[in-house]
Amino acid sequence: MEPQQLAGSGDAPPKQVAQAMDRLGRAARLIAEIRLGADRILEALLVSNENPRLSEKAAELTLGEEDAMRRHFLDLRTVGKQLEDSGVLSGALRSRGNSWGLHMPLVCPDGAVVAYAWKRQLAGQAGASAVDRARLALKAFSDQKRRFFPQLEDDQLNRSNNDTIKFPPTKRPRLSHRPTQSPNIDSTEQKPMLADILKSIQTEAPGVTISTCQRLEWSKRAESLASTMNDSSLEQPKEQILSNLSGSFNEVAVIELVASGVFRVLVSLHPAGSTDPDAVAFFSPNEGGSYLHSRGMSVHHVFKHVTEYADKALQYFQSSDPNKALSHLLSWICSHQSLFTKNCSKCSKLLAMDKSLALLLPPVHRPYLLNSKDHDQDFATAYHIGCSSYDV
Amino acid sequence: MTVKWLMHFQPNQGTTLTSQVMAEACAVAESFPGVSRDGRWRSSMTFYRAVPRDQSLPAPSDLPRDLIGISLHDLPNEYLFVMRSQRLILRAHSSVQTVMDKLQSYKGRFFINFEGLQYKWGDFKLRIGKCLYNPNEALRGIVMEVEYLPLSSIDKSQRVMEEFYEIWREAVASKLLAGQFINTEVNFVEYGLGDSYTPQHTAVLYGMCVVQVIASSNKNQ
Repeated sequence: MEPQQLAGSGDAPPKQVAQAMDRLGRAARLIAEIRLGADRILEALLVSNENPRLSEKAAELTLGEEDAMRRHFLDLRTVGKQLEDSGVLSGALRSRGNSWGLHMPLVCPDGAVVAYAWKRQLAGQAGASAVDRARLALKAFSDQKRRFFPQLEDDQLNRSNNDTIKFPPTKRPRLSHRPTQSPNIDSTEQKPMLADILKSIQTEAPGVTISTCQRLEWSKRAESLASTMNDSSLEQPKEQILSNLSGSFNEVAVIELVASGVFRVLVSLHPAGSTDPDAVAFFSPNEGGSYLHSRGMSVHHVFKHVTEYADKALQYFQSSDPNKALSHLLSWICSHQSLFTKNCSKCSKLLAMDKSLALLLPPVHRPYLLNSKDHDQDFATAYHIGCSSYDV
Repeated sequence: MTVKWLMHFQPNQGTTLTSQVMAEACAVAESFPGVSRDGRWRSSMTFYRAVPRDQSLPAPSDLPRDLIGISLHDLPNEYLFVMRSQRLILRAHSSVQTVMDKLQSYKGRFFINFEGLQYKWGDFKLRIGKCLYNPNEALRGIVMEVEYLPLSSIDKSQRVMEEFYEIWREAVASKLLAGQFINTEVNFVEYGLGDSYTPQHTAVLYGMCVVQVIASSNKNQ
């Protein structure tokens, strides 16, 4: 991280406010990294528990993550100290006379960041946002627990009052599988280059347009998509190909896959320029706006469910074959070109009513298990949520 | 714009269409779990006929004699014209109606209003409405618009819409309504329209649907 410049009293208030907002942003990103690290460690533990042969790999991953998380915590501590010194956490600067009418952003006790403290008081949102944040935190923890510790559900959920989603006690967790052969992991295998992976996926799935860009470029593109969608007086322009295949791949952080008329998928790479995917999200091709990113969520139910399932697929690919996680993920994504045309492999229908969700959906679950040969992996089957068996 | 299908209610032989059927159709929609009412909707259609400037001269053959003007519920600032004989669609600002009134080159012969209830069901939007002949508000038909929000490609959404149509027809049949909903089939290519759904597609659907509704209503009277 670059050396921090403390906003001294010599700096103008706007600069101080800008720096404070920047630091708050950095703090939020660090917290997100830490959460992600925690997910990865838990996943590694789970996999090594299921499959003792992978435990060495898992241990390596855990140690790596631990280092990264330690660094993140140190950085977070530094940023926190800076924020405290600049008065953001304590609101001490609110009453300063020479503040040009600007106030330092305030971090309230419940965690909400408010750019202007007086607005907060006027709106009277303190209590409401605390309840919302508590609810969101509970949901995040419940989701994580459900994913990693499903065996606890039977006792915990029956006692919980707030969690309205009930699981039958006999349901086996999705990630628990007993493959007949484990995927071949050769730790001495060389990691393929990003350019090669993208070229091979493009050959495998000619119906999907793949482009890459840096993170900031993507935010601009997402916003521009919003304005082209809103302009209904024009015919939708042909997909602009921002293909980066001839340029440098060192800073590529976002891969965009578009199947015309079917989906737009965003995969982010972390670190930038690597071949390690860290998030994936599916959207409708007619969506646009700043919420369109690899950790965003579509407004449409069908894509929301595919994205949730894609998260699980990504976790699986990362843990079972980290060197080829990106290739497998991209192949799996491309198989969704038939999302709205392929019937369910169990009930043979396209649309089915999901009783618990009260929604009519096409088959949104495509099994992602890898078999031991890495060829012939075509991810050809699809199931409705209700038709999907527990060991997909 | 997202893909829509438009259906009209075809009453059984010998039965007449009443407002009761509209209520029953809405009840079918509301019987699906997860459906929520989402307000009302209203569109209108005007059938224009050309007013020749000079009665003694024959009307120029390249100008259309009849025009259909449509104001859609989801595009309040626009007005669409459909020329069925020439297979042309024109999209204009809604103020063009004032221009039409001033020019008097085309006069509105009769008017049809569509109004009814709107429902949201997951990624689908359903609009069931009465087709009313203005000014005496006589019920000429019942229409249903189905919209699938995630998709704008007609080709890619074809199967989803077909299956929805089947589900809907089965539900209507099981509730013993005195008739069935018939889908409006249109060859969009004839109108120069592409795979990407636009308001022009909706205008063509309404144009065709109304013709069928009026024909069916005349047959049953």
